[in-house]
Amino acid sequence: MPKTLFPTLSRLRLAVQIAMLFVTVYGSVIVGNYMADKISSALPALSCAYDQMNGGYCMLVPTQHIIHHRIGEAVVRAQQITFQMVLPLLMTFVSFFAFFFVLGKTFCGWVCPLGTLQELIGKLGRRLGFGLRRFEEGDLGGVKRLRPVKWLILLGLVFVLPLLTGLGVTPHSLGNPFCDICPSRVATTLLTGNTEQLALRLGDNVSFGLGAIANLLVGFVLVGALAIRQPFCRICPLLAMNAVFQRLSPMRLKKKMHDNCGKCGICSEACPMDIPEIAKEEGRKAYHEDCTLCGRCAEYCPQDGTIQIKWGPFALFSSRREYYKRKVKGELPDGTVKPVKFVRNAARPAADSVDA
Amino acid sequence: MKSILVPLGLLMAGGAAAQHEHHAPAAAAAAAAQAARPAAPAWTQQPLLLPARAARGERAAATLRPLGLAAARVTVFAADGPAERLKVDYSVGPEGARIEPAAPKIGNYHWVVAREESGAGVRIASAAWYFGNPGASPRELLKAPKHELEIVPEPLPREHASYRESEKWRFLVRLNGQPLPGQPLTLETESGSRSTFVTDAAGFATVLFPRDFKPAAAGEDAGHGPRRAAFVLSTGKEADGRRYLTAFNHTYGQDGDRNRSLGWGAMFGLAGMAAAVPLLRRRNKGDNGHA
Repeated sequence: MPKTLFPTLSRLRLAVQIAMLFVTVYGSVIVGNYMADKISSALPALSCAYDQMNGGYCMLVPTQHIIHHRIGEAVVRAQQITFQMVLPLLMTFVSFFAFFFVLGKTFCGWVCPLGTLQELIGKLGRRLGFGLRRFEEGDLGGVKRLRPVKWLILLGLVFVLPLLTGLGVTPHSLGNPFCDICPSRVATTLLTGNTEQLALRLGDNVSFGLGAIANLLVGFVLVGALAIRQPFCRICPLLAMNAVFQRLSPMRLKKKMHDNCGKCGICSEACPMDIPEIAKEEGRKAYHEDCTLCGRCAEYCPQDGTIQIKWGPFALFSSRREYYKRKVKGELPDGTVKPVKFVRNAARPAADSVDA
Repeated sequence: MKSILVPLGLLMAGGAAAQHEHHAPAAAAAAAAQAARPAAPAWTQQPLLLPARAARGERAAATLRPLGLAAARVTVFAADGPAERLKVDYSVGPEGARIEPAAPKIGNYHWVVAREESGAGVRIASAAWYFGNPGASPRELLKAPKHELEIVPEPLPREHASYRESEKWRFLVRLNGQPLPGQPLTLETESGSRSTFVTDAAGFATVLFPRDFKPAAAGEDAGHGPRRAAFVLSTGKEADGRRYLTAFNHTYGQDGDRNRSLGWGAMFGLAGMAAAVPLLRRRNKGDNGHA
């Protein structure tokens, strides 16, 4: 039965993503209204606290708030940085890690609502025949140039600016700057029919500017995802945060070298994050900071057991030649799907046989 | 005509005098109780629990001042914490009652009650206070009866949210734990609005918050989040030979759409879309050799 419903890892992932999209955007109808009812207030996915119907919060929300309101303000009051003061931040990280330990970076590839939206738009783009654009030499340029951006956003917008605001150095409107530019805030609240987050705040230039950046990003992501896979994930600070902890979770990607590695490059082509290292490297280098553990590289590797998704000692999925052959018949590594063919009179022989 | 009006007037005056005579002790008690009360603010005569301005960053305690009723203490009900801290009385000082969460690291909503009993009846001020730490959901706290006549928010605004102008919220009115159908519930706001709602068969009233914020004065600091103002819901009921008056006060915020522009928002969204359009121009070449 599960094999009939989910014949491929991709199909299983799509089902999980859609279920998680519901939980992260509308989950309050199941879990309850209040914060204490939520799955967590420190999820390793962009589940937005501004969405009034969500089932859990992204961990970047409490991180910014605690740095701004607790640490920054306490330093202003000339206290020592005590354990009690950083305890809320520590608790946020403990809650985050409790989830992250079990599922690791699958939160990016399987749970994140913005990741799912981008992927669904990408599927639509392939269906509509928009050519795939990749971050590689000869197209949009090497992906390596883009990689530092997520670290800069994590450092600058999640840690430094909230702290400076708590210290009173920067204006109050820079208290949670990442949330203010986050396209998930706009996209997920729009999914609940709420246009408030799309509307820009007037009368405060900083808030207006941050909101304008969020809207530019969400517009770019919604259209750009037709041609580029996962455009926002590449600069997402939560991907960077998850990358910090990725070696501490038993959930991981494991790759061993095969003679063909680096030659066929199919795994890299299948990777929605355009990670070239997956084709060329092995071990820790292959499980790259940009990996979202979506598992497409393992699905499209034609060599038995070369790429695996593992949880501790258990291989949850291993690349297999037979699986690859079956998979590639339905969808090419870059996501292009075979056009649906309508076969004229396809039902006639069956009907004839019934008549006979 | 005059011959009819004079006896009628005398009759009414007599009736009023008789009524006055009958309720004289109660009226005297009411007058005495009123004299002992800290004055309510100008916008309402209902009992209130209003917070004093907290020092910046102070989240471990709050000072609430009973107004419009003479209460020697306030009682704080918690949803979680040590058994002896689930219901705690705090005495009211000159500045009000300084209340604390059930435990230093337990936050979330706490239910606060101040009570005045006199020969005139029972006046109750109730409020929900949010302490900025994680804590148990207030669902069970709201479900449990805490005094005779209650106005129970169903639900309270969740964290990062608030009551707001133009929104509808449900409140349950109950007496001794039982819902009260057909009970009038009056809303008064700091901005001067007043409206009355009636509970349905299940005891719920759907309250519409009026759009009554005045434009911000020039140079007024918008602060963190939308502007807020106080409101109070009140209801009264005669039961067991006593007159109960209960009020629930909280704050509501300015409509989120005020001082926001959907037009500007949509324009930047469309600009972002336009910036991505060049990416779509290269069409798929079709054959990439993996089929």
